[in-house]
Amino acid sequence: MNTNVLPREQTKSKTSSRPVIELVGMSKWFGSFQVLKDIDLQVYEGERIVVCGPSGSGKSTMIRCINQLEVHQEGDVIINGEAFGNDVAKNDHIRREIGMVFQQFNLFPHLSVLENLTLAPIWVKEMPKHEAESLAMSLLERVRIPEQALKYPLQLSGGQQQRVAIARALCMNPQIMLFDEPTSALDPEMINEVLDVMIELADSGMTMIVVTHEMNFARRVADRVIFMDQGEIVEVAPPGPFFDNPRYDRTRLFLSQILHH
Amino acid sequence: MSDSTLVTTDDVDKALVFKPKDARPAPPSTVGVIGWMRNNLFSNVSNTLLTIVGAYIVYTFFSAVLNWAVFNAVWEAESRRECLDLVGRSGACWPGVAAWMENLIYGLYPKHQVWRINLGFLALIAWVIPLWLPRVKSKVAIGISAVLIYPFLASYFFMGGNKGLVWTLLIALGVTGFAWVWLTTLTEMRYGLPFTRFMAGMLGASGKPQEVQVKYGRFSMLFVFVIALVLVTQWELQEVQTRQWGGLFLTLVISGIGITFSLPAGIVLALGRRSNMPLIRILSTTFIELFRSVPLITILFMFNTMLPLFLPVGVEVNQLLRAIVAVCLFAAAYMAEVIRGGLQAIPKGQYEAADAMGLGYWQSTTLIIMPQALKIMIPTIVGNFIGLFKDTTLVSIIGLFDLLSMSRAVGEDSRWLGLFIEPFFFVTMIYFVFCFLMSQYSINLERKLAAGNQR
Amino acid sequence: MAISESTAIRSQSRLSSFLNNETVRSVFYQIVTLVCVVGLFWYLVTNTIENMSVRGMSAGLDFLNVSAGFGISFTLIPYREGDSYFRVFQVGIANTLLVAVIGIVFATAIGLFMGLARMSSNWLIRTIARWYVEVLRNTPLLLQIIAWYFGVFTLLPRPRDSLDWGGLFFLNNRGAYFPAPVPEAGFGVTLAALAIAIGGAIGLRYWARKRQEATGKHFPAISVGLATIVLLPLLVFMLSGRPLTWDMPGLQGFNFTGGLNVPPALGALVIALSIYTSCFIAEIVRSGIQSVSGGQTEAARALGVKPSWTMRLIILPQALRVIIPPLISQYLNLTKNSSLAIAIGFPDLVSVWMNTSLNQSGRAIPIVAMTMAFYCIVSLTVSFAMNQYNKRILLKER
Repeated sequence: MNTNVLPREQTKSKTSSRPVIELVGMSKWFGSFQVLKDIDLQVYEGERIVVCGPSGSGKSTMIRCINQLEVHQEGDVIINGEAFGNDVAKNDHIRREIGMVFQQFNLFPHLSVLENLTLAPIWVKEMPKHEAESLAMSLLERVRIPEQALKYPLQLSGGQQQRVAIARALCMNPQIMLFDEPTSALDPEMINEVLDVMIELADSGMTMIVVTHEMNFARRVADRVIFMDQGEIVEVAPPGPFFDNPRYDRTRLFLSQILHH
Repeated sequence: MSDSTLVTTDDVDKALVFKPKDARPAPPSTVGVIGWMRNNLFSNVSNTLLTIVGAYIVYTFFSAVLNWAVFNAVWEAESRRECLDLVGRSGACWPGVAAWMENLIYGLYPKHQVWRINLGFLALIAWVIPLWLPRVKSKVAIGISAVLIYPFLASYFFMGGNKGLVWTLLIALGVTGFAWVWLTTLTEMRYGLPFTRFMAGMLGASGKPQEVQVKYGRFSMLFVFVIALVLVTQWELQEVQTRQWGGLFLTLVISGIGITFSLPAGIVLALGRRSNMPLIRILSTTFIELFRSVPLITILFMFNTMLPLFLPVGVEVNQLLRAIVAVCLFAAAYMAEVIRGGLQAIPKGQYEAADAMGLGYWQSTTLIIMPQALKIMIPTIVGNFIGLFKDTTLVSIIGLFDLLSMSRAVGEDSRWLGLFIEPFFFVTMIYFVFCFLMSQYSINLERKLAAGNQR
Repeated sequence: MAISESTAIRSQSRLSSFLNNETVRSVFYQIVTLVCVVGLFWYLVTNTIENMSVRGMSAGLDFLNVSAGFGISFTLIPYREGDSYFRVFQVGIANTLLVAVIGIVFATAIGLFMGLARMSSNWLIRTIARWYVEVLRNTPLLLQIIAWYFGVFTLLPRPRDSLDWGGLFFLNNRGAYFPAPVPEAGFGVTLAALAIAIGGAIGLRYWARKRQEATGKHFPAISVGLATIVLLPLLVFMLSGRPLTWDMPGLQGFNFTGGLNVPPALGALVIALSIYTSCFIAEIVRSGIQSVSGGQTEAARALGVKPSWTMRLIILPQALRVIIPPLISQYLNLTKNSSLAIAIGFPDLVSVWMNTSLNQSGRAIPIVAMTMAFYCIVSLTVSFAMNQYNKRILLKER
């Protein structure tokens, strides 16, 4: 990972004053167990948010509620002013602006890398095949593996598969990118190649919410770091104050545990 | 940029204490019985319609069956005519089944000899009880003895008649086996020692080296065997020909022999199919593929008509034996494929590790490979057993009086003329309960074994 | 002295290394096995020859040309009493294949339906489907066949009191009666229209796909194609003056004549086989679809792909890889299980050849051999084809 570049300054020029993502009093229960408690959050365009916390804190659940892979029971999830509701078609329409990268990659193993990328543009956006393919190739170049286009997912290494997954999400030109522990399933030597792609994506101005344990990445890229514990947001701060001077005892305990090695 | 994130004494009074919110109960419409029903039964219009249709189907089916079998049924009557006079065809006539119960279970076995069948099966249960008792360590040996040695004992219980020298010795072996099982169980539970070691101690050999102790142990077993032999020669049971075996008893005998034969035979065939020796591989593969490609009924017919031809002129082969041979070979072929699947699922590393330890083929197979293969395939093996139990119904087609044939005989009795549905229903229930319980047991077993693999 | 000792030791170890040599042992075991097997065969064959000469049996195939001399209650292909034994063999095979094909079609349809029911979001439907599978799986097939035959079909009324639907379909204890279509002159045009429609539908799919690649616009080729296959021949049929008459079943005296007759034994056998096999197919379908990890659906949803397309493009191709091999195995099982027809008197191959013909002609060995050969050929051919399919569709891995 490139550590020579100075950490990003906090120059926030908001193109619009309305948040792209708004969580208002959102609560979610699994059965009778409350896993998210009254989450309030605003994310503005171009912001990079890193979410961290111990396992079971609800960070994955929260990010999956943002694109309704999990359905919340109370409160609102509002994307660009439109709230998710009971209308399935409307929900699909809202979801188009959000791309997601999973911990387990979830590439389609029976399709080639190129076909993985072009499937959604062709079938959802009705793009002609050659246009979709050139879009896919340009994105494969952006994630630096254009030569793997005709291979199949199971023939690639973990790091390559995750980069393909990022490119696949980008093919739909989303406004927001969600990352659910993108490097947790990777061998250590492959983590950096994926983080480099994510840094380049961040530098290009993409609105990103990343759930991760990679604290160096947070320092480098994040505008705000969110710490969650037991279903609540405990602390939100820019990376400098967050890592150097956390305000809450919980946050300090967590940081001491993960930054120790 | 400070890298220190340890909590220092300076920081402690600056840290704010986080007060977590209390968990609230979930919205009532999403949990509890109401919530469950909303989600699973009535979540939308089409789901509600499905629930109504489903409820209607369940209601009509159960009310029809229960009305016939329970509410309108006749429980006491002397003949079918009486039943028909009482309820006509709208209710079941159970007295017929009750009257024929002994035949359904024991076939045409002489009524006053039926206690032998009961005793024989009781002996089997008593033989395997130690498998569930704590502190018994010889469980594997007890299990294997139940499979290999119990049949000798049971054979005399069921057949009786004149015993030649060989049979006498085998029956004595059976009695000895039974005695050994319980002696070992008792000594292990009480003293933690198998019977042979215990006797070695009793005879004053506890201080002596291993070989001497073993000799003393074997001597005690020989002593038990001699006692058994003396008892067996005095023991006389009336002969009951296999022609008179029938009903559930016959079904259990055929399935039991089939199951006990198919597992070891299947193991041998599976190993043969994977062998490096071309001739053995070809022979095993041909046998397995041949017996798996054809229906069981054709094999039953084949052995029924052709086994007498294969044996020397004049040798009489009783019909039960022909059916048993057919069933055993058929089951062995299917079991072989199941075990081969298990052998293939074992990572190559296991074979290599066994080789690296210097174990020969048979040692590595019996100690390392086969136990793992069997453990992986236990659910499928039990499934095969269940299938075999169901397949024994086919012997009714070649004229053996198994449970199915017996149920048809009820309706041909003049007192219960035409009573076919009730015995048939009863027999179906027996099969269903047996097979369902066996499959539930296998699911349980799978879960228990899998738990051993979870961290 | 030391030298002769070591020579002795060396020659001894050379002998034991010879005996322990793997190749030597392998050859030895194989020779022993060969001797045993050949010996066993020799024993069986000599006994058989002796037994046969004692009983006056012969093993030749010459009996195939002899007239069989018995009637068969149901034949798919034409058969008259007095036809040769070989004809009987053909009739048996045709009947078995008929039962197998119809059974496979019904079993797949029902099994697919019940498999989807097993995964329904509605608890009641899911539970009903689960018990459907449990009950059918744990009851012997022979009992089910007998139940359908004796339970249902003998409860049906006499021909005089048949259940009838609109004077067209009849159900009684002699079976089910349908009107039989009798094509007249000019029907060939309708058949030609059907062939054209099928070709057209295939061509339409091809054209739609090319169009989608070029312009991105989606065309519902499958639905339109299916509609054409149904509607075009129908239209041509109407326009060409409906060249089809129906041979109606009608009650004459005590019985029905005319029309198509499905005898109770055939009906019961097909229904029992279909329903029994459908429970296994339901489980195969369910586990196949569940074997595709949930993450696949999530990724597709996150990309905005519609649920119906997710199923078609992503879930189904992966599920089919897992479903097809055991499905084919169930089809083979159904074909083999059709031999239980003998229990209810339907003349399939085993019943008419291995039972009746064997008893009439006494030619046990050729008859048994021919029956086994039929089933072996069917099983092994299908297994071989299945292996080829499996090899081709393996997911490409490192």
